[in-house]
Amino acid sequence: MTAPPTASPGAASIGPVFGRRLPIAAGVAGVVGLIAAMVSPPDFVQGELVRLMYIHVPAAWTAYLSFAVTLGASIGWLWRRRPGLDRMAAASAEVGVFFTGLAIALGSIWGKPTWGVWWTWDARLVTTALLFFVYLGYLALRRAIPDPLVRARRSAVFGVAAFAQVPLVHFSVLWWRTLHQPPTVLRPGDPSIDHTMLAALLLNLVAFTLLWALLVRARARIAAAQDRIDEAEPTRPLAGDAVSAPRLEASDV
Amino acid sequence: MTAATVSPLGLCLVLARKDLRLERRAGEALLVTAPFGATALLLAPLAVGTDTPLLRELGPALYWLVVLLFGVLVTLRASAVDGPAQVAMLRLAGVGARVRLAGRTLANGVLLLGFQLLLAPVAVLLYDPDLTGWPWLLPVFVLVAAGLAVLGALADALAAGLAGRTALGPLLVAPLAVPLLIGATGVLQAARYGRPPWPWLLLLATVDLVAALLAAWCAPHLEDRT
Repeated sequence: MTAPPTASPGAASIGPVFGRRLPIAAGVAGVVGLIAAMVSPPDFVQGELVRLMYIHVPAAWTAYLSFAVTLGASIGWLWRRRPGLDRMAAASAEVGVFFTGLAIALGSIWGKPTWGVWWTWDARLVTTALLFFVYLGYLALRRAIPDPLVRARRSAVFGVAAFAQVPLVHFSVLWWRTLHQPPTVLRPGDPSIDHTMLAALLLNLVAFTLLWALLVRARARIAAAQDRIDEAEPTRPLAGDAVSAPRLEASDV
Repeated sequence: MTAATVSPLGLCLVLARKDLRLERRAGEALLVTAPFGATALLLAPLAVGTDTPLLRELGPALYWLVVLLFGVLVTLRASAVDGPAQVAMLRLAGVGARVRLAGRTLANGVLLLGFQLLLAPVAVLLYDPDLTGWPWLLPVFVLVAAGLAVLGALADALAAGLAGRTALGPLLVAPLAVPLLIGATGVLQAARYGRPPWPWLLLLATVDLVAALLAAWCAPHLEDRT
C-alpha cells in the first residue's frame, strides 16, 4: 500500500483568494456603473466620447488611492515591522501601476479623436507617465531583493519617497498651462460637471474602488500564501549535496 | 581615530575624501563615464541629422540629458567598492547612517561637478549653442550636482549589493530627477529670452532641499538592524 500523496507545505493554510461578498459587491457595482455610464447624456462638445471618462477618471482615482495606501503601509512597516504591511504596500503598488497604465491608455484613446494625437507633451500626461515609471521602479526594486526583510525595508523607504510624485501629478494642471482640463470634482465649490454625469461618475468611482479592494486583497493573500510556503519549505540544495548553489545575499549600506 | 572625537561634519569630510581618493585611483567617473558621456554627445547628431541650426537648439537639452543619465552612473559606482565589511567597520567606529550618506553625497557632488565641467566644453564644441546668460550656468552646475548627488546616493543605498544595481539605480533616480532637468534647461532659455531665471533656480534649490531632507529621513531606516 502506498502512502497518500501529501499536500505541499503550507497549502493547507491557504485561504480563499477572492472571498465571497466582495466579488459580488464589486460585480454588482460594476454593472450599475456600466448602466449609468451608458444612460448618462452625451457631452455637448465631446459627444459620446465622454463615456470614456467613466473609466478614465476612476482608473486615475484608484491609482492615487493605491499609491496612498502604499505610502501608508510603507510608513506602517517602518514603524511596526509587520510583514502584512509590506505585502499590502506591494499589492497596492502593483494594482496602482495597472490602473495608472489603464488611465494613460484610455487618455490616449480619448486624445486621438479629440486632440488629433495619441500623445502630447502636456504636464498632466508627462507627470502621469513619470508616476508610472517611478512605481515600476518600486516593483523592480522589490523583485531584485531576495531577502524578505531587506526587501521590505528598502521598498518601504522607496515607497515613501515615490509618493512625492502623486501631488505633482494632481496639481500639474494648476501649476502649468495644460491641454488637460483642470479638476472638475476635487476642487473648492460646486463641481463643474453636469450633475447627472457626476452621479454616473460617482457610481463608477465606487465600482472601481471595490474592484481595487478586491484585487489588492487577493494579491496580498497570494503573497501571504507564498510567504507561508517559503517558510515551510526546507532549504534544498539545487544540484544535490555535491554542488552548493551561490547564495544571494543582499548586503546593506 | 574614533567617531566620538570627530564632529559629524569632520567625519563627513573624511568619508568624502576617502571616496574621492578611491576615484582618483580607479578613475571610473572621470576617465570612463565622462568619455562615455562625450561619446553620447557625439553620437546624438548622427541620429538627429547634421542640421546645424537644429543641433544648436538641441545642444543644451542633450547636454543636460547626458548629465542626468550618465551622472547617475557616477553616483552608483560607490557601493560597488564598499562591501558589507567596510560598512560594518564604520558602524563599529560609531559613524552613523546619516553621516555615511552625507559623506557619499558630498563625494558624489564633487565628482558630478567635475563630470559636468568636463562635458560642458565638449557640448559647446560639438553643438555651438547660444550661450547668452552663461554666467547663470555656474549656480546651475552646483545645484544640479547637489540634487543628483543626493538622489544618486539614496538610490545607491537602496540598490547596494543587488545583482541588477546598475540598471535599477538609474530607473529609481531618473524619473525623480526630472525637475533638475527642467530647471537646468529652463535657466539658460530664460536668460536667452531676457526673462529672469530666478524661478528655475528656485525650483532647483527646492528639489535639492526636499531630496536632502528625504535622504536624512531615509538614511537610518536603511540600516540593517538584524
